[in-house]
Amino acid sequence: MTDTTNQAALDEQKLKEAYFTASQGQLIWTRFKKQKAAMVGAWVLIILILSGIFAPFLTPYDPTIAGRDKDYLNGPPEIPSFCDDNGCSWRPFIYTTERTRSIQTNFRWVTEVKTGLEDRRYLEFFVKGSEYTYFNFNINLPGTKLDFTIPGFTFDTHLFGVDKGMIHIFGTDSTGKDIYSRTLTAVNTSMAVGTIGVFIAFVMALAIGGVAGYYGGWIDSVLQMITDTVRTIPSIPLFMALAAFVPDTWSAEARFFFISMVLGLIGWPTLARRIRTHLLTERNQEYVLAAQLCGAPAKHIIRKHLLPSFTSYIIVDLVISFPYMVLSETALSFIGLGLKDPVNSLGVMLQNVTKADVLLNYQWYFIPVIFFITLVMAFVFVGDGLRDAADPYGESK
Amino acid sequence: MLQFSRFVAIRASLAVLTLVLVSFIVFSLMEMVPGDCAERYVAFKNSQGSVITPADIQIERVRLGLDKPYLQRWGSWIIHAFQGKFGDSCILRLNISQLLGQKFWLSLVLCLSALFLAYAIAIPVGIIAATSRNPFLNNSLRFVSYLGLALPNFLLALMIMLFSTVMWGDSLTGLFSKEFRDAAWSWPRFKDFLGHAWLPVFILGWSATAFAIQTVRALMSDEVGKLYVTAAEARGVSGRRLLMRYPARHALSPIINSLGFDLNRIFNELPIVALILTLTEAGSLLIEALARSNDQQLAGAIIFMLTASIVGINFITDVILAITDPRIRRSIVG
Repeated sequence: MTDTTNQAALDEQKLKEAYFTASQGQLIWTRFKKQKAAMVGAWVLIILILSGIFAPFLTPYDPTIAGRDKDYLNGPPEIPSFCDDNGCSWRPFIYTTERTRSIQTNFRWVTEVKTGLEDRRYLEFFVKGSEYTYFNFNINLPGTKLDFTIPGFTFDTHLFGVDKGMIHIFGTDSTGKDIYSRTLTAVNTSMAVGTIGVFIAFVMALAIGGVAGYYGGWIDSVLQMITDTVRTIPSIPLFMALAAFVPDTWSAEARFFFISMVLGLIGWPTLARRIRTHLLTERNQEYVLAAQLCGAPAKHIIRKHLLPSFTSYIIVDLVISFPYMVLSETALSFIGLGLKDPVNSLGVMLQNVTKADVLLNYQWYFIPVIFFITLVMAFVFVGDGLRDAADPYGESK
Repeated sequence: MLQFSRFVAIRASLAVLTLVLVSFIVFSLMEMVPGDCAERYVAFKNSQGSVITPADIQIERVRLGLDKPYLQRWGSWIIHAFQGKFGDSCILRLNISQLLGQKFWLSLVLCLSALFLAYAIAIPVGIIAATSRNPFLNNSLRFVSYLGLALPNFLLALMIMLFSTVMWGDSLTGLFSKEFRDAAWSWPRFKDFLGHAWLPVFILGWSATAFAIQTVRALMSDEVGKLYVTAAEARGVSGRRLLMRYPARHALSPIINSLGFDLNRIFNELPIVALILTLTEAGSLLIEALARSNDQQLAGAIIFMLTASIVGINFITDVILAITDPRIRRSIVG
């Protein structure tokens, strides 16, 4: 009897010890794990990010015009099935389609679906297809000496495909590009734009908010005035005004970097304000005074006391501001001021959907929207969960 | 009273100062666009068949005052902007104030009604959510407010268009029926406007509502747990009377304070929603000016006016708060 009580007390002791000696990261992780919604969000997010990174492998075709299927324009999604009127097969299959034009179709191009037994296209896994490369850098600086190329690794295996012809599980757009391939690539693009944007915004916010919070006084007042002014201007109209500078002659990649930069250049004020407020409040906390009284040098206080109290909040802020970047990019590209073909993003894919023709006949153009709502939702859930987890007083409530 | 008018004066001058800074940003943006008005006019004349030399461009520049220093031009632009004069658009060769006029007020009315709708829904729902212990209600409200972020207004507009086209074969776009588009204001035109405007107002208010519910709920649940509420309860005040007289009044002032930023969020989405729903107002003019014709005068004027209305709202809410909230009033009168 005493043994078990002893054991229980010992366990409790151990738990308490683990709790009190845990680093802040461990504490946040423990609190984060308790939130179901945030954990689900985190898993969804990881899956989406990975599928964005491995998009070339997971998708059967090149998302640009090079991967178009000229026999299947504006084609509806093709769902592989096991059975049809001609009997069943152990391998899932789709049908062959062909674009034809004859007197029966009034001389218009029409996509004809052949449902015969010999027209079945069987689904295959790990097929060879278009080539794609990872870690491939092509740096082209002015002058020939500075150019260098890292070839990277080239692969040509794709997760699935069909034995003949092509398969489009989300359908195709008006030029025959595979919407499934484009969607996953777009997820990747959005993550990249968001990362660059958040990074630039973060550096600017850290510099401006840091200076304001550290020096205080009139510098703080002036910087606050500027920050608040930038915050007052509606950001998407401002994005649009900046994005309108991009000349049409720029390459898609240059455009991509410029747009990400613009997103960062406008996204900083909210972050800067929060960093400043954190700094100002933390600087005057009693534990800082205590450390100062113990004779700790400023470097030690910043590194051991201020930064740890701070990093978790900043990470949370970054995660929370991420979806705004992604959505702003989508909005910009949607109206034609952001990214352009051949770079894929949700906004680019949605550019022409307001036409009555698309709304009435080609509803599968909207499939990528589901992915994006999921992506943003996952980010919001994770951000919210992190915010709750990073709050050391959250548990007592 | 004197102290109060001093407070108002300080706030007003701060607002004007903000607008001056905004005008500097907007003006610099306008200036950075390659090509100036003189070149545009001359290019236009060229397209009309007259022969143009570089000297003509220079003469045109002097005529338009484009040869003056940067700061001087900014000064004259902002003085005119405060009087509501934005000069001519050099691409459309029309007076901007005339072009914008009614359209801008139309947009402002749309956005303000969206803001009103958002709080008309959010305040009761938020208060109920904060005080009820029903987990289902709380979770579903949380989900709705997340959805407000994840499904931004323009995607919602697209989805509604898709749905209504598939269901009813009508995409529900536009602000007026064909016969009223250019007519003067009259009772039938107003009715027609109301019949069309509810959808943009709903769509523009959608994200704002989701955010507002979240804010009201958070503020209320902070206040409900405080001691003064318990004290009031101990005195025998209960039910709706308790909520309305004590925590709701406290929770209200941060909400009034943030109205300007809510309006900012609504303005943000205005141009794109306008584009999708083919509304004929300032938002779509802005897209037209930026995306199609690169008309920096028009774009600058619209951005300036949007920001001016946000600054205006901020100023008004500051004054209202100073009047209604005794805590702030005391800090001013001191």
